[in-house]
Amino acid sequence: MKWQKELGGWLLASPYLLSAVLFFLIPLGWSISLVFFDWNLISPVRTYIGLDNFREALSSTRVYNAFLNTYKFMAIIVPGVLVSSLSLALIVHHLPRLKQFYAVGFFLPYLASGVAIGLVVRGLLAYDSPFNEFLRQVFGSSPRWLRDPVWAVLVIGFMIIWKFSGYYALIFLAGLQGIPRELYEAASLDGAGPFTQFRKITLPLLYPAFYTVLVLAVGLCFGIFTEPYVLTGGGPRFATHTWQLEIYYQAFERFRAGYGAAVAVFNALATFISILIIRRIVEAWGARRGFR
Amino acid sequence: MRILKAAFLGIVVLGMAAAGQVEITFWSAPNPSQEVFWRQMAEAYMAAHPEVKITVSPMPETPTSEAGILAAIAGGVAPTASENVFIGFGSELVRSRALVPWNTFAGWEDLVRARNISATIKCWEFPDGNYYIIPMYVNAMLTAWRIDILRELGYEKPPRTYSEVLALGERLKAVYPDKFLWLRSELEVPTWWQRWFDFFVFYYAASKGQPLITGNTITADDKAAVEVLRFFKALRDKKLLITEPLAEGFEVGKTVMTVLGPWTFPWWKENYPELVYGETFVLSPPPVPDWYPATEPVYTFADAKGVVLYAQTAPEQQKAMWDFIRWVLSDPEHDLLWIKITGMLPARDDVGTNPLFTAYVEEKEPALLPYAKSIAFAVPPIAHPQFVEIQERMGLECIYPVLTGELSPEAGWEAWKTSIKDLLK
Repeated sequence: MKWQKELGGWLLASPYLLSAVLFFLIPLGWSISLVFFDWNLISPVRTYIGLDNFREALSSTRVYNAFLNTYKFMAIIVPGVLVSSLSLALIVHHLPRLKQFYAVGFFLPYLASGVAIGLVVRGLLAYDSPFNEFLRQVFGSSPRWLRDPVWAVLVIGFMIIWKFSGYYALIFLAGLQGIPRELYEAASLDGAGPFTQFRKITLPLLYPAFYTVLVLAVGLCFGIFTEPYVLTGGGPRFATHTWQLEIYYQAFERFRAGYGAAVAVFNALATFISILIIRRIVEAWGARRGFR
Repeated sequence: MRILKAAFLGIVVLGMAAAGQVEITFWSAPNPSQEVFWRQMAEAYMAAHPEVKITVSPMPETPTSEAGILAAIAGGVAPTASENVFIGFGSELVRSRALVPWNTFAGWEDLVRARNISATIKCWEFPDGNYYIIPMYVNAMLTAWRIDILRELGYEKPPRTYSEVLALGERLKAVYPDKFLWLRSELEVPTWWQRWFDFFVFYYAASKGQPLITGNTITADDKAAVEVLRFFKALRDKKLLITEPLAEGFEVGKTVMTVLGPWTFPWWKENYPELVYGETFVLSPPPVPDWYPATEPVYTFADAKGVVLYAQTAPEQQKAMWDFIRWVLSDPEHDLLWIKITGMLPARDDVGTNPLFTAYVEEKEPALLPYAKSIAFAVPPIAHPQFVEIQERMGLECIYPVLTGELSPEAGWEAWKTSIKDLLK
């Protein structure tokens, strides 16, 4: 009887397990095996080079820039996406009707093609776009949005915030809907105003959602690819270069699969360590405040 | 795994041989008109050769056609042959022993003669003396000018030298302050292949086609290269060059010059029918430094690609593909059809002189004539296996710092040469 129950569980989980093995574990193992070789995936000759790929990656300006830029993007995207998605969730939560309609509406950018969004943004920020014409008429000049190292990072950061806010808002919305209404009623009877209620009830009880969104947003910063690929090519002067652009460039443009895999391993390590540190900090902060 | 693959391939080939038919696959470029041409060719060939079945399909376009080919070879599903391979990528494939040399087949010399490519083919010889790529087309890059706007400014023909271009730019700015001479937003982007359509075009023009790299040695003409960088910087400083994206540029007359390949014409015909050769735009070789003799021909970069045969397929399939390709390329009528369908010029020595082509081009596609005349002076991409990084570093170490004023043109050029030394080993 017990084995039948277990078998049912395994059967239900099998699609996920199978896809994880096929599309995660096997490629992961294969990538790790590649890092010790100088190989372009097609040559009959695979040259064993030990740890040379790692050494090269550690001294590469391109990798260094990708590493640093991830934290630049993180500094913009993580607070930006937390504030905007929480705000969206609060707005939708307090709507008198059509909540689902608006929630889905805000979720749509997440489903949109990154390339299409990139092309739209490129058009919006083109030198001769109405927006820039307006800026030049009012202020005498318009920023070099995609050619200035600071503006380019901000533009890409805001695109990502816009794309993911609706998705993360759904997580916050689920958290908000799980907070018992009685708590707010009791707080009102005790004389707590909306701000106090938000600070003392909403925020602490949203901690699990906040934690989830934070971890997802941090992870997201290590996977940025489409936006800089379409808009800036990683420039100007590596200002928007990312881990994924570097892996793509090395593996698919320079045909250096081994080196690309070594960079991917560093990317995975940086992602893992960064998420671990941020998790520890947030958990400690939550524990200190009694949120968990 | 390899043994299993070979066994499977053998069974398939034997099975088809038993049925009396060899099945081969051809990947056309991810360009609908090229696919149409190859499909027509395959159908015509199969009608006369029922023992061969040819499947034509476009090669994967994303992330790049090169990556698509690479993935297919790595996955053991490469086609028998494909087009759209330029000599740089070809070098990488040859280094990986992924290609079969065409000249090992009986009848190679006949093909060279029949297609009239004995001069053109010399640029496609690999260091081992073999020919792994049969050039399909050569697109010499030319500069297009909005002659309607130039006429308004008092010009009857495009400027030839850098000083003349700068003078035209100043006149343009005086009359139309909002217009620019040249839109080249990619000049500030390091993407390697973008250098084909800016620096290489101007460099080959200034240097009389002097190769940038020969084997593992930098053989560039330093004086010409620095002059090109100075010209770019002058255009930028005078606000004649815009490196930010524009929604529309040359097509709507916001800029008056652009570097142009003939593949743009079908798109223009569909979207900008008001652009008429001789009326609204004209073509000229790229501008040259002031000291460049007016009597000398002007060289340019050639976007040239060809057909390769993959080593992964069975010898019977390779032989069948060779017969098909030889049939396609040995008949000048097929090259005429190529021009009619794709609007690009076939890589032939006689494309600018053979009445079969010139009569059609003069009557139907006069804008292709200057391209035909420039083919003899068009230099194909560099063939070094490290072409990607060499060209990427040109943008990063040289062009961007020069444009932003971080480095002088001389220092920028030296910086690029120094930066690629580790790649030339």
